[in-house]
Amino acid sequence: MLTIRHLKLNLNIWAVLSFIFILLVILPNLNIVLNVFNEPNENWNHIKEYLLKDYLVNSVILITFTGFFTIIIGTSLAWMISIYDFPLRAFFKWGLVLPLAIPPYIAAYTYQGLLNYTGVIQTFLRNSLNISVQQKYFDVMSPEGAIFIFTMFLFPYVYIITKSFLEKQSAALIENARVLGRNSFEIFLYVVLPVSRAAIVGGVSLVILEVLNDYGVVKYFGIPTFSTAIFKTWFAMGDLDSAVKLSAILMCLVFSLLMLEKFLRGRKKFSYTTAKYSPISRIKLEGIKGKLAFGYCLMIFSLGFLIPTLQLVHWAFLTYQSILSIRLLGLILNSLLVALFSSSVIVIIAIIIANNCRINENLLSKIYSKVTVIGYSIPGAVIAIGVIVFFVNFDKQLFWFYKMLNPNSSKLVLSTSIVMLIFAYTIRFLAIGYNSIEAGFEKIGTKFHEASRTLGMSVTRTFFKVDLQMLKPAILGGFLLVFVDILKELPLTLILRPFNFNTLATKSFEYANDEMIHEAAISSLIIILISAISIYYFYKVGDKED
Amino acid sequence: MRRTFVALLLSCVMLLSLALLAGCSGSQEEVANAKQEVVNLYTDRHYDTDQQLYELFTEETGIKVNVVKGKSDELIERLAREGKDTEADLLITADAGRLHRAKVKGLLQPVESKILFENIPQNLRDRDNEWFGLTVRGRVIVYSKERVNPSQLSTYEDLTNPKWKGKILVRSSSNIYNQSLLASFIALHGEEKAKEWAQGIVENMAREPKGNDRAQATAVVAGEGDLAIMNTYYIGKMLNSSNPEEVKVAQNVGIFFPNQDSTGTHINVSGVGLTKHAKNEENAIKLMEFLSGAKAQKQFAEANYEYPANPAVEPSDLLKSWGEFKSQSINLSKLGEYNSKAVKIFNEVGWK
Repeated sequence: MLTIRHLKLNLNIWAVLSFIFILLVILPNLNIVLNVFNEPNENWNHIKEYLLKDYLVNSVILITFTGFFTIIIGTSLAWMISIYDFPLRAFFKWGLVLPLAIPPYIAAYTYQGLLNYTGVIQTFLRNSLNISVQQKYFDVMSPEGAIFIFTMFLFPYVYIITKSFLEKQSAALIENARVLGRNSFEIFLYVVLPVSRAAIVGGVSLVILEVLNDYGVVKYFGIPTFSTAIFKTWFAMGDLDSAVKLSAILMCLVFSLLMLEKFLRGRKKFSYTTAKYSPISRIKLEGIKGKLAFGYCLMIFSLGFLIPTLQLVHWAFLTYQSILSIRLLGLILNSLLVALFSSSVIVIIAIIIANNCRINENLLSKIYSKVTVIGYSIPGAVIAIGVIVFFVNFDKQLFWFYKMLNPNSSKLVLSTSIVMLIFAYTIRFLAIGYNSIEAGFEKIGTKFHEASRTLGMSVTRTFFKVDLQMLKPAILGGFLLVFVDILKELPLTLILRPFNFNTLATKSFEYANDEMIHEAAISSLIIILISAISIYYFYKVGDKED
Repeated sequence: MRRTFVALLLSCVMLLSLALLAGCSGSQEEVANAKQEVVNLYTDRHYDTDQQLYELFTEETGIKVNVVKGKSDELIERLAREGKDTEADLLITADAGRLHRAKVKGLLQPVESKILFENIPQNLRDRDNEWFGLTVRGRVIVYSKERVNPSQLSTYEDLTNPKWKGKILVRSSSNIYNQSLLASFIALHGEEKAKEWAQGIVENMAREPKGNDRAQATAVVAGEGDLAIMNTYYIGKMLNSSNPEEVKVAQNVGIFFPNQDSTGTHINVSGVGLTKHAKNEENAIKLMEFLSGAKAQKQFAEANYEYPANPAVEPSDLLKSWGEFKSQSINLSKLGEYNSKAVKIFNEVGWK
């Protein structure tokens, strides 16, 4: 009796679905991970002797400084926007998310094109003012330059998550602190930072994972890191085993960082202090203070969005005659459809798993929530290979079924279709959707859910009537992040797309890869435009929720 | 609030059905087109003019060309993983070393075609005819017209001379063109000499390797160094750039073909191979022959400012203006055979 009751409690639809999804995430990666335990070969010894130290040092430098600067910029902006009123605040509120619309590799090419010898700035100095500059002062192709690019184009992850937390969460705390006579800086340091720690960490982990996974920027700048190393060993040395070992070290690095944070945070949990939460009453900044706040936001906005976009517009003017064509429309449609559809799938799966973790608090569900991160901590190309193997096997198993439907069917159906790509996106970006939805759940806490259950509603009814309603901003936030990420995604799209399938990102990359950055401008700009519009749209919806 | 959510949900459902519909109609189309002759191509060439060539091929033969573009390493890996179920019939990559890698992995098969044998010289194709070069590029020395007199230049080996200390610009060793260059030295002079050369270049570098080939030429003109090692076609691309400053850069550097009195200038090809499990073998060979023929060769090579592999076809006027040159005579298969050795040497001497 007891066991059946136990089973019934645990085995609801949420648990079953979560289990299936998690299995689907793990399986393709399994055959890759299993390679870790193979005997080290000669290549591995070579890597250990000559290269590993460089990879480690460079990767650690990049994530440490990028992490540090994104926290500073992200939280300071989130704090200013939610606590103060100053000129153009309403615009900056969403405008500061726009750097996310620009893929870092495009930003890297753009800044290099802007600053190098043939770029606008040096050309102007040289031709109009007759000033020759030392190249090293205009060199972005260095670790410092990479940190700059990553910081400017990834800080919105920290900004978005921290801001939405501060707006919803901290009003009472901040007002109490104000009443108790703390000044703004003290409140920031002693109240805001500790309270929004989970949000900041959530944002910064996304940043760190993006940096560790980045291939475009570090490769272009010639900085040896783990991701370039993985590609190099795998493809140049043809050694998948060693490449997987490197990925495994990378994953350990990521997980130990995450665990360290969890450990330091201990058992502290923050959720709504009262059921009724009210927005913060903002302080109006007058005079010089207002101008400073405005100037700071404008500077970040310019570096992270305005300047590169203007540069791309300039290049677009130089090349539009040879680039604009009807094919471009097809590219736009492909990009949009695949991104919209995949993000919907991802968000739905994330909600299901997150809800399961919340209602069935046991070891298994804790593992689930860790597993969602897997796809995000493995380099895209490694996932791609895992997914191909998985689908080819899957197709072989389903061959009898295809034949039943269509006697002439070829053996590979799913693995030559767009389904494979969408599946890979799901593995890759589940973490992003999950993170924001989990944060949403954490914010709601369990009180409302428990109240509803006490009043006799089932888990599923409670979910639709109560949880989902309160979760909407988090869902939209997650959807937005995933959508924009897929729009920009490169390695998976490149490897897994079906025949004759091109997107804006692949087109931009093709041009940029052929060292035709000017020609890449138009498709890059369209990516940026679509991302910017979606960011704006979701922001407006998000605002109405308040 | 509720309404926006419902709208969102609805649009998702609609998208889902749309996607399903598209998927179904796709497969129906495939059934209807079962008789349409096709050839499926994995390629790492991205030029818009290639598409015109494929269309011309379809016009002449009625065979439709389907294309997946990607990075060659990843396409090879994909081909390997798909095994005998692959849909790809042809693989085109921009480096002989990579074609060799595909061959070693057992992904290609020999092609016996009189037309191909006639059109493509022996050293530009695989020993066992598993792949054929289509376009040729040299990896040359590019020098500052302002500060270097070409009479000071002679060979690749001379670049390791201490007189060039702090003057040499070259990209990272993760780049396949550098790997193939070093592989050719291993083939010609043995491992030890090749390592000495790589070591010597590292000691003479003007800066840590960074950027692509174009960046090296730009750095020469900007005065960061005097000499750059780079592929010929990038100069062609820069001369035709939409950025007038880049055109100026290309005009301010000269091209020097090294080792003319000894082993010859290092060349490499982009080439094509028939996949082992090709389902449309005949069509695929037809396309290979078409691409090696006089009509296609000109456009195929000029799209990327390269030399045609077919000796009967003249290079473009721009390339002719650089003069004729003697090239390395080793069979390009060697570039692949010595690739991993080259990579290791680079790591050992600290060529980033």
